[in-house]
Amino acid sequence: MKVLEIKNVHKIYNSSEVKVHAVNGITLDFEKGEFAAIVGPSGSGKTTLLNMIGGLDQPTEGEILVDHTDLSTLKSSALIDFRMRHIGFVFQSYNLIPVLTAKENVEFIMNLQKWSKKERDKRTFELLKAVGLDGRADSRPSKLSGGQQQRVAVARALASKPKFVLADEPTANLDSKSTSTLLDIMEELNRDEGITFIFSTHDARVVKKARRVITIEDGKVISDEQK
Amino acid sequence: MIWKTAWKNVWRNKIRSLVVIISVTIGIFGGVFAVAVMNGAIEQRLDAALNEEIGHIHVNEPGFRDNLDIQLTIPDIHDVLDTIQETPGVAAVAPRVILTGMANTAAKSTGVQIIGIDPEKERQVFTLYQSTIPGTGDFFETESRYNLAYIGQDLAKELKIIRYILDDEAMKSLSDKGVPAPVMEKLAPYRGERFNSEKALKKELKNILSAREAKDYGPLIVDEAWSFRDRSRLTLTFLDKDQYQTGAVFRIAGIYDIKNNMFESGTVFVKNTDLHSLTGLGPDTYHQLIIKLNDFEQTGKVTGILAGKLPGLEVMDWKTLQPDLAMMTDMVQKFYAVFMVVILAALAFGIVNTMLMVVLERTKELGMLTAIGMNKKRVFSMIMLESVFLSLIGGVVGMGVSSLLIAITAENGINFSSYQEGFEALGYSAHIYPAITPSFFILVTVLIVLTGILSSIYPALKALKLDPAEALRTE
Repeated sequence: MKVLEIKNVHKIYNSSEVKVHAVNGITLDFEKGEFAAIVGPSGSGKTTLLNMIGGLDQPTEGEILVDHTDLSTLKSSALIDFRMRHIGFVFQSYNLIPVLTAKENVEFIMNLQKWSKKERDKRTFELLKAVGLDGRADSRPSKLSGGQQQRVAVARALASKPKFVLADEPTANLDSKSTSTLLDIMEELNRDEGITFIFSTHDARVVKKARRVITIEDGKVISDEQK
Repeated sequence: MIWKTAWKNVWRNKIRSLVVIISVTIGIFGGVFAVAVMNGAIEQRLDAALNEEIGHIHVNEPGFRDNLDIQLTIPDIHDVLDTIQETPGVAAVAPRVILTGMANTAAKSTGVQIIGIDPEKERQVFTLYQSTIPGTGDFFETESRYNLAYIGQDLAKELKIIRYILDDEAMKSLSDKGVPAPVMEKLAPYRGERFNSEKALKKELKNILSAREAKDYGPLIVDEAWSFRDRSRLTLTFLDKDQYQTGAVFRIAGIYDIKNNMFESGTVFVKNTDLHSLTGLGPDTYHQLIIKLNDFEQTGKVTGILAGKLPGLEVMDWKTLQPDLAMMTDMVQKFYAVFMVVILAALAFGIVNTMLMVVLERTKELGMLTAIGMNKKRVFSMIMLESVFLSLIGGVVGMGVSSLLIAITAENGINFSSYQEGFEALGYSAHIYPAITPSFFILVTVLIVLTGILSSIYPALKALKLDPAEALRTE
């Protein structure tokens, strides 16, 4: 079952003097439950592609369909709502809300979706347990290590059971032990929850774990391998 | 969750938030306390005007108020009195005979309004009798075979009935009250000397005492030298009912002090029976009836009823009689609101500045929140709530501190004695008891919340304009 279809997507940035073709005609499909890495050197267009998939940026040309919905047909407020319900985000620098505890960060999106307290508590407990932080539920981000913060971010991304999770270089700021733990947790959640994970990365450890590796260069897909 | 997050965000940068909160606290405290002092002064003035000077409603012949014509007495007085007393809401009625004339002593003459009253009925309408200066007599309580007059302190001073004498008693009292020996030595040559006015005594004190001594002991020396000669008299002259000049000697029954120079220096109270015989008007003739109501808020309603029942007479309420006071009491609430709005508008600039810094500092976080699904309405609400919390905390603390100070000062009042003459010239007491109504706090709270909301609009709009992808790239 396809959760994401990228059809001949282009992104052109018009600076004052030159046109930059950041993404140049990419076509990709992602099935439910994939664990995929998009790799490529800096400036290859990984982040631009991820931003477009996440609805944070609009393609200059082409279509992006999430669960058969064309993102370009959604108005700004509907797009925000769509992201909240169907797409999970994990950022390179964790981006947790510093004034909230780990538990509150995880249940933030459920709160926005007006889940009942009982449902929220159940899901938050499940996720914090899955990322091994059920004992740190009441800790604020400043009291957690980088690896622990990123695990909270993963739990948050999965909170509302999205169609897929986009992780932009999630291990870039982590040491090897934290990276390994995080990857194991994500793989387990991918398997248990059946949620598609799409990473952008240059981290070889992530590439090694990924079951599909898409390499892009100069805005084009140069290889797409299933392991 | 938005409320909780906004609340926690307020305390993210404690020092910056506290600076804003303290500035709002100081602004609100200053504003509320200043309003309480102004309001206290005005309430006291209104209270004095209604209970000591004019009452609630006046009834007289049409045209009487314009020229105080002695012939314009109220016809069928018993029927009129019965009609008034039967009207619901009326607490008491005081009949008056009103003349213009001259008050004379050997020292001076001055024009006055002579009001003939029935002391018993007057007590039911006015509280003036409570303002007798101790030691000067009473409000027509002591029986006398002489004509009696109850006069204001300012008139007594003007007619030199009150003088200032540093007699033995005054000197002893000053010494007992701790006036230091060097000052007493400077005063010694003036023992027994009579000063005809407060001004003359103060001028002399200024010459003999140092500025510091005059400031510290001047008011006490003036108080102790204040002297009233028992059984003082004055002559009142006026026209009788046939327009012939007449008059009589009146012994001072008592001297009142109501902190209103104009009223005190221009109003003499005598018994209406004395005026009835001296003017030839005869008994039961009155120029004016002063009505006191059970509830002064009912003035408009009762005035309307009485005007209908007494068609040939002029019925006027205190608002018409004293339009300046009516305007002040009506306008003052609006003035207080404007005063607070000006203070809050100044504070709003500080809040806007702080909230702009908040948005700038949290660009990345706001981008992340939009990315994960926080819509514009929620982002706006969060920024707005932070701003409202900031202003409301300061506002509540400011109102709390001002309430405390109002409660403390309302007990004994604040004495602006240095400006006493100025206050009393305008009819205000220089001893002010700050007072405020609970509804004013509700108004201030609403204004504070509005300030918070309005201050957040520009920063919140800035936050809404952020592009999430771009915001996430900021460091």
